[in-house]
Parts: sequence; C-alpha cells; structure tokens
Amino acid sequence: MALIRIRNLVKQFGNHTVLDGVNLDLQKGEMKVVMGPSGCGKSTLLRCINRLVEPTSGTILVRDQDIMGAEVDVRALRQSIGFVFQQFALYRHLTVLGNVMLGLRKLRGMSRAEAEAQALFQLNHLEMADHRDKYPSQISGGQKQRVAIARALAMDPAVVVFDEPTSALDPVMVREVADLFNRLNREGVTLLCVTHDLALASQIANRVLFLDQGVIRADDTLENLAKHHPNDQVRAFFGEKEGRS
Amino acid sequence: MNFFELVAQLAQGLVSTVVVTLVCSGTGMAVGLTVAGLRRMGYARVVPFLDGFTYIFRGVPVLVLLFLVYFGLPSVGIKVGPLLAMALSLGLIAGAYLAEVFRGALDSVEASEILAAEAMGMSRFQILTSIEFPQMLRLAVPGMINEFTSILKYSPFAYTVGIAEITKQAMTLTATTLRGIEIYLAVGVLYFLIYRILLAGVHYLEKRYQVPGLGTT
Repeated sequence: MALIRIRNLVKQFGNHTVLDGVNLDLQKGEMKVVMGPSGCGKSTLLRCINRLVEPTSGTILVRDQDIMGAEVDVRALRQSIGFVFQQFALYRHLTVLGNVMLGLRKLRGMSRAEAEAQALFQLNHLEMADHRDKYPSQISGGQKQRVAIARALAMDPAVVVFDEPTSALDPVMVREVADLFNRLNREGVTLLCVTHDLALASQIANRVLFLDQGVIRADDTLENLAKHHPNDQVRAFFGEKEGRS
Repeated sequence: MNFFELVAQLAQGLVSTVVVTLVCSGTGMAVGLTVAGLRRMGYARVVPFLDGFTYIFRGVPVLVLLFLVYFGLPSVGIKVGPLLAMALSLGLIAGAYLAEVFRGALDSVEASEILAAEAMGMSRFQILTSIEFPQMLRLAVPGMINEFTSILKYSPFAYTVGIAEITKQAMTLTATTLRGIEIYLAVGVLYFLIYRILLAGVHYLEKRYQVPGLGTT
C-alpha cells in the first residue's frame, strides 16, 4: 500500500496547464526526490497533496483515502503532512520553542507543559534545543530549517515534504542537509523532496523523478539520466553535475 | 486660590477624563479588531458592510454623532447613558480609524507564514488570532498611539452630555473665579500629563512584547 498515490493529476491556472497528468507513488519509509527546472510545477505538485492548491482533475490517495472527496477533513489531512517551505516560514513573533509548540497547543490541544516537553524533544533531536529562546531573526538559515523540520515532525506526520530545501541556504550547507535527510529517513521518516539541486539529489537518492512541462518525463538513476536519456535537454539538466564538480 | 489649588480642583475631573478615554479606546480597539479581522477572514458578503461602516464613521464629526446618540435616540425610545453615548460615538469613530490602521499593518504580515499555518492545518480563525493579530499589533503601535491621542483630545466632548471631566470643571471654575487664563493653562498642563502617561504606558507594553526582527523599533 502506497502512502501517497497520485494518478493523472492535472492542474490548470486559467489557460496555463502546470501539471498535465502526473503519476507518483510514495511508499511508507521512502525518500523520494522530484527534480525539474524552475517553473516545471514542482511546488504546485506538493501543494496539491495537502490541498493548498485545488487540483483540476485526477486522484490523490493518501493512505488509501481520496483526498478530493467531499467528506475529507482538509485540516486533518494537512496535519498528517509536514510541510517545510523553501524560506522555512517560521513565525516571526514566536521563539524557536514557540514555533514548535504552536501546532501542539492549537491543533493537538496539549497543555503548555506537554507541548513544551514534546517540542523540546524534537528540538533536541535536531540539535536546536540550545536556541529555544531565540527568535527567527536571530538564527541562521540552516538553523531555521532545522526548526521548521522540528515544527513539522512534532505533529507526528505521515510524511514530511520539502520544497527546495537548499535554495535558501549557502551551497556549503548541502552536505549537512543531505546528512540530516538521510538520518531522518533511516529513523523511519518518509520524505518527499522537490529540488533542482543536483548535489543534494545525488547525496540522498539513487533514483529521481524528472518533472518537466507538467509530466513526469523520467524515473531513473541520476547516472542514466545524465548519460543515456534520449532527450538532450534531460541529459543537459542532469549533466550539470559533472560541469560543476 | 493659587495655581496649585486650581490644578487640584481641576483634577477632580481627571478620573472622568481618564475613564472616558479608556472606555472609548477600549471600544475602538474591539471594533477596530473586529472590522479588520472580519475583512481579513475574507467573507465576501460582509465586506460591503465593513466598507460602509468605515466610510461613514470616518466622515462624521464626533460631536454630531454624540448628539445623535445622546439626544436623538431617546426620541425613538432608546435611552443611552452618557458614557455609553461616548462609546457609541467617539468609540465607534476611533474603531473605524483603527480598523484602517490594522488593515495596513495586517498587509505587512508575511504571506508565507500564513501559508505555513494553513499547511499545518490551522483554521482561518486560529491563524488570525495566533499569527496575524500578534504580529499586526506590534506593527501597528505608531498608528495606535495616534488614535489613542486623538481620543484623549476629543474626550472634552463628554462635558456636553453631562460628564464632569476636566474641561467641565474648568468651565465651572472659570465662571466662579474669572481666572480663565490660569485655569485653561492648567487644563492644558493636565492633558499634557495624561498624554505623557498614556504614551509611557503604550511604550511599556511595546517594550514588554517587543520581538527582535519585528516591529518599528
């Protein structure tokens, strides 16, 4: 049973078709990477999964439940999917601890003490407990990302999705992010990550999905995509890595 | 009667002035937050009413509305006490202005944070009260100070509906002593002191809730 099963997903904004029949399966415990050029619909794909964006047609099953159904509790669905945004989107008026506690207090109805214990556990796990009383403006990008991950994990989600996790960070941080993702995945966290960062992709996944012009054009290893894919543009996109290193 | 005795006499009206200012500020805050909040919640159907409210109440003179409420409403059988009349006139007008201050400050709340809260599964109302209002109030401090100051300076209208605040005391004193210059000078000093205390109070709260990287200071 796939945790997330997407079939024929179409999303149109007016006349513009962003997703044109996407199929994707994500198994429990898996770490899946979706790559593609800017504007290929990666973010839209993620946002369809928790209905921040309403798909035009197609089906999305999360734990075998059709999330487009009329009886679906959208807020419950969203609580089961941890979302880490490109710019991390920490709440500026709350401390690191407050950011992680908010959902536990408001959505899980935990007491202050319970929420604090759970939040501190997650912050500790991500080595951010020392920064618990700092505000988002006082910590670095990498630290913000860890807080955003702790905030997502605290809600005990079925899957954590990442939208361009390295684009707001220094290039030297890629290694660290990759190590963190690998560690989380080993610990049993299911991850879905969209990125156009080849360095990151190569360190966290053997196979990647290539999303281009609204469809999954390939599902293959990075090496095959760079060397043997029949399409020039695909080879060029994935060949970038050799040019860089 | 020396100057200080005059001030002491006038100070008997001080409590009324402060009460009127606080009641009208409180009404203004409640109305302003409700109007700005409802607009933010995005109920298309109530927006024309909110627009209508701010359009009308920002355009009507305080004194006209006060008389309408205090002297007009009894003719249709609604009797309104003096303090309530102040709240329904000055308070509502302040609310209309504050609603606009809040609207501007709400536009400065990061859309990405609101999206993150939605993605987390929070309801629109939870986002408003947990994310948008706490940030907005910190950003709106300068506009709020302006409005509270206006309320204080409009509070002398309360004497027209029989509240014995500072200005009313001054008029009575002037009528008996004929020392208008000193008395109104003292009145000016008293208002200035209230203004400074009010300001100190707001600044204290601002500092108390100050967050690095958010707000005007």
